Amino acid sequence: MKRYIGMRLVYLLITLFVITTATFFLMKQLPGTPFDEEKLNRLPVEERQLLYASYGLDQPVYVQYVRYLANVVQGDFGTSFTYKNMPVKDIIANRIGPSALIGLQAVVLGLSIGLILGIIAAYRHNSAWDYFTMFIAVLGVSVPNFVLAALLQYYVGLKWGLLPVAFWDSYENSILPSVALSVGVVAIIARFARNEMLEVLQQDYITTAKAKGLTNMAVVMRHAVRNSLIPVVTILGPIVVNLLTGSLVIENIFGVPGIGSLFVDSIKMNDYSTIMGITIFYSAFYVFIMLIVDMLYSVIDPRIRLASGGE
Amino acid sequence: MQQQEKASLDHLFRPASVSAKEPEKISRPPLTAFQDSFRRLRKNRAAIVSLIILILLGVLAIIGPWMTSYTYYDTDYSAVYKAPNADHWLGTDKFGRDQWARIWEGTRISLLIAVLAAVLDLVIGVAYGAISALIGGRVDNVMQRIVEIIIGIPSLIIIILLMMVMEPGIMTIMLAMVITGWVNMARLVRAQILKLKEQEYVLAARSLGASNTQIILKHLIPNTIGIIVINTMFTIPSAIFTEAFLSFIGLGLQEPMASLGVLIHDGYQAINTQYHLLLYPAIVIIAIMVTFNILGDGLRDALDPRMRK
Amino acid sequence: MKKKWSTSLLCLLMLVSLVATGCNFSGDKGSGSAPGGTAPAADGQQAKKESVINLSFENEIKDLNQFSTSDNISFSVLNNVSEGLYRLDEKHEPQPALAKGVEVSPDGLTYTFTLRDGIKWSNGDPITAADFKFAWLGAMNPQTSKGGYAFILSDYIKGGAEYASGKGSADAVAIDAKDDKTLVVTLNQPTPYFLRLTTFILYFPLNEKFVTEKGADYALKPENMLYAGPYKLTSFDPASGATLVKNENYWDNANVKVEKINLKVIKEQSTALNAYKAGELDRVMLSSADVDTFKNDPEYTTDIEFRTNYIQFNTKGEGTSNLNIRKALQLAYDATILEQVILNNGSKAATGMIPVQMSGVDHKSFRDLQGDLIKADAAKAKEYWEQGVKELGKAPQLKLLVPDDSLSKDLGTFLQSEYKKNLGIDVTVETKTVKARNQQMDEGNYQFGVTGWGADYDDAMTYLDLWANHTPYRGNYENPKYDELIASAKKEVDETKRINMLLEAEKILLAEDAVVSPLFYRGNSFLQKPHVKNLIFHPYGSPVEYKYATVE
Repeated sequence: MKRYIGMRLVYLLITLFVITTATFFLMKQLPGTPFDEEKLNRLPVEERQLLYASYGLDQPVYVQYVRYLANVVQGDFGTSFTYKNMPVKDIIANRIGPSALIGLQAVVLGLSIGLILGIIAAYRHNSAWDYFTMFIAVLGVSVPNFVLAALLQYYVGLKWGLLPVAFWDSYENSILPSVALSVGVVAIIARFARNEMLEVLQQDYITTAKAKGLTNMAVVMRHAVRNSLIPVVTILGPIVVNLLTGSLVIENIFGVPGIGSLFVDSIKMNDYSTIMGITIFYSAFYVFIMLIVDMLYSVIDPRIRLASGGE
Repeated sequence: MQQQEKASLDHLFRPASVSAKEPEKISRPPLTAFQDSFRRLRKNRAAIVSLIILILLGVLAIIGPWMTSYTYYDTDYSAVYKAPNADHWLGTDKFGRDQWARIWEGTRISLLIAVLAAVLDLVIGVAYGAISALIGGRVDNVMQRIVEIIIGIPSLIIIILLMMVMEPGIMTIMLAMVITGWVNMARLVRAQILKLKEQEYVLAARSLGASNTQIILKHLIPNTIGIIVINTMFTIPSAIFTEAFLSFIGLGLQEPMASLGVLIHDGYQAINTQYHLLLYPAIVIIAIMVTFNILGDGLRDALDPRMRK
Repeated sequence: MKKKWSTSLLCLLMLVSLVATGCNFSGDKGSGSAPGGTAPAADGQQAKKESVINLSFENEIKDLNQFSTSDNISFSVLNNVSEGLYRLDEKHEPQPALAKGVEVSPDGLTYTFTLRDGIKWSNGDPITAADFKFAWLGAMNPQTSKGGYAFILSDYIKGGAEYASGKGSADAVAIDAKDDKTLVVTLNQPTPYFLRLTTFILYFPLNEKFVTEKGADYALKPENMLYAGPYKLTSFDPASGATLVKNENYWDNANVKVEKINLKVIKEQSTALNAYKAGELDRVMLSSADVDTFKNDPEYTTDIEFRTNYIQFNTKGEGTSNLNIRKALQLAYDATILEQVILNNGSKAATGMIPVQMSGVDHKSFRDLQGDLIKADAAKAKEYWEQGVKELGKAPQLKLLVPDDSLSKDLGTFLQSEYKKNLGIDVTVETKTVKARNQQMDEGNYQFGVTGWGADYDDAMTYLDLWANHTPYRGNYENPKYDELIASAKKEVDETKRINMLLEAEKILLAEDAVVSPLFYRGNSFLQKPHVKNLIFHPYGSPVEYKYATVE
């Protein structure tokens, strides 16, 4: 197992490296500059050249790349082009918190409600419960999340005044965004849990367990749920990453200073250093989560061989 | 007393005739996998209703724009922001364009993009995931790392670059979504096949001398179809949503073309005062999503041979 | 098995604690449920309560370092936490601020400013003329000037242009801090609006010792700035907003009535409206969809900006290189539809480049002196078009380049429909991201596109000299006669002669050479709570003043 983790960490670093390189070169192909071209247009060409040179942007791309890598290895991620002079590390550190909080709450909420719904639906297959919970779950993934967010904001925030409408002043501000975000998670988890449970409930060992005299509840809890978890774990990985890395739409609607909107904005504004900083962070995070997911696989199902074909 | 009762009831029973063939007889008429599946699908009322609604939406998407004399691009500056009325059945937008025509035109385009993207995702994803899982070992490892890299590169950058290089339009959006979208299918297929590879019946088939191809065709693929179908049924709505998101951040279709994403984005801008602009496209999109999902569930239930009652 | 569950639980706990520490809520909801702390309901108790105004920006506060900043929102904040020699009042006229007064030499070239007594930075240091010199030089120095605004000093101050392009030395720049209270500046040519220029952010002073000490960290946090203006920052986060409180060291502190200003960043217009209705904001802009609903609301008002949106033709582009084609495209749309139907928010149909209230001479506006240059005329447009097609040999396929913001896309749809209706042609709207579109315009890879320009100061020159630099972005326009008019106007001492030169330049640009085609002059509709008064919005330069505001 240790050898396996070791190898995966090496792969992680290689993957990170490849992602960083590919993103860097792709990013440099984006049209335009990190500066305000309309304002810069007033400057004579020599002054514009001076400006580019002061950021090292006049060098050939591979030179810039090597320079960037050298800095990153020493922990220097540069400063943002949009928020001039602000170190990228600080910006990312500031903006992750809100997104992570909202994302985490959404995952926890979505996972719990989704699992419960899915298990109930499978348990009472083809009954009114089944149809009802599935319909709720489906609605959750069918309504565009900004519509939901807008409705929540208008009714819960404005009309009934239960929670703040927007901004990021105190903990209550995180509730509505988390709820809006969790609905999609509920839907996905509920469906997957239901499908897997249904399949598992057909298995022979379930019949055996029931024949042995276990109560339905014990059967569900001890055998069925555990075996249904695998696809749920598969899908959980990308979900966690997606949520913790911020949703632009939710952040814009609720005025949350999160990392999702930072990322999209930095791409649209060609803010090279911020794009790279966030990419590296996202990728490291994603690969790390995938490692955890794969490890969870082996915990849940020892039959799945993780290392090479037959160990 | 029991003895007596037993004796008195004996005349009610007649010994059954058992021929030699009977134990081997299968009492249900034989069905192929498809006949069996379709039968089960028909029993699922929710799925059937969804199918009907979906067909209805599809029909409207095709003939809807022709049902009215207005086109989706004709502007009429004397009739802006009109609520639904006899003339404009679903109202007009800020340019006085007829919403009925725009919504069905938009549905057409959204469905087109989504289905194309889903098909491509399926083809590429299944192939990649299956190969990765079947060969296993080193190859699997490498292929999975490649997948992680593709996910790692911000898809938004790839999308923007693509839209720079190619003419903005339906093909570009579809391609942009497929380039990073197939990955999900690949991962699910791989996970499923990995799981199946270790099942006992595969082991049994192997020890009985079945070749790899036979195992793939007869055992692995049919048991993976469930996952593939569900995921495709997922991909289509997700593609519609992705396209809506791209419109939301401004990378959508060119004016005056409409897709559901564009309509919802435009409608959202007026949500406080002209909510009919958001309501109707939202209803259509929700209907499409719901029906696809329920249908997907129904198909999955129907296609799984173990669900046979 | 148990061990594995506990390790994963541990990981989860670590993740949660990491997240919890990084949340940084701004915790500024001091007023809690009472919106803005000045709910109109509770009387009598008002006198003791803190007066607060809650405002919003539709984008982030990107940069508070005046050497590198270039966006309006950062300008808005800086204008209120700092100050220059002069400040614009409610009538947009420059009034002495940090300067007590000025003496202008008879040739109009030398300005001698005398600074007010007792002016201090927020850390107690006195504000001196040397602070102005340091700031002005730094704003022109190519090593430190990163915002592209050096021109607003170097175009006017003698020796500035050479210094800004790296060829001259700082000593050759004609700014002289004679003593702590006296600042002498020599200009290249007489500039009647120079005092207005000094109200602009880049003319504000900086404390050299403080700025050098802070180095790269300057202006990144509230404690890394010194304040010379009516307010100081107590909190600042580019993506959430900022909090301003009264600056006790401000010379005019007694006249600043509002104690606290909360500025929030909110990008979605509908959210801002909801926040306004919930009492969390005191002012909100209305989108054109919402205007009709609120037009009769007592809280509704409109204002204007000196900003013109127009079509830029590429005089070397395919099809648009032909003058008649351009003239046809100028006349084939009716901008009043934009004004009344699509925008409907106080914006006005444009008939020329210079906005309506921009000054001309002798208290007449430029627009009044010039009259209407471009007015929609479908019949004439058709004539020009046919003429152009004949000259070209065939009808050109036109693509309108449009950046991907909502306004530009709407303009694109509007123009597309008008050209179809009035000329019978199909124009493709080419929507690109801002950067891609900027690059295309920089490379001259377009036929025509929609764009806009806002005035930096109250004079027609802020627009007209854009087309003297012959760049592809400005349509590859090269007309020696035009260039000469602009150059002469810059040197001309006589006001009337100068304005006449500019009037002629505008005529050449629009009517004769059809380089651009005006769409509309920007106006805004908004709702403002009745208890908030005297918030001043300037149509150009520093966008907003909080100093004069009052709360009831």
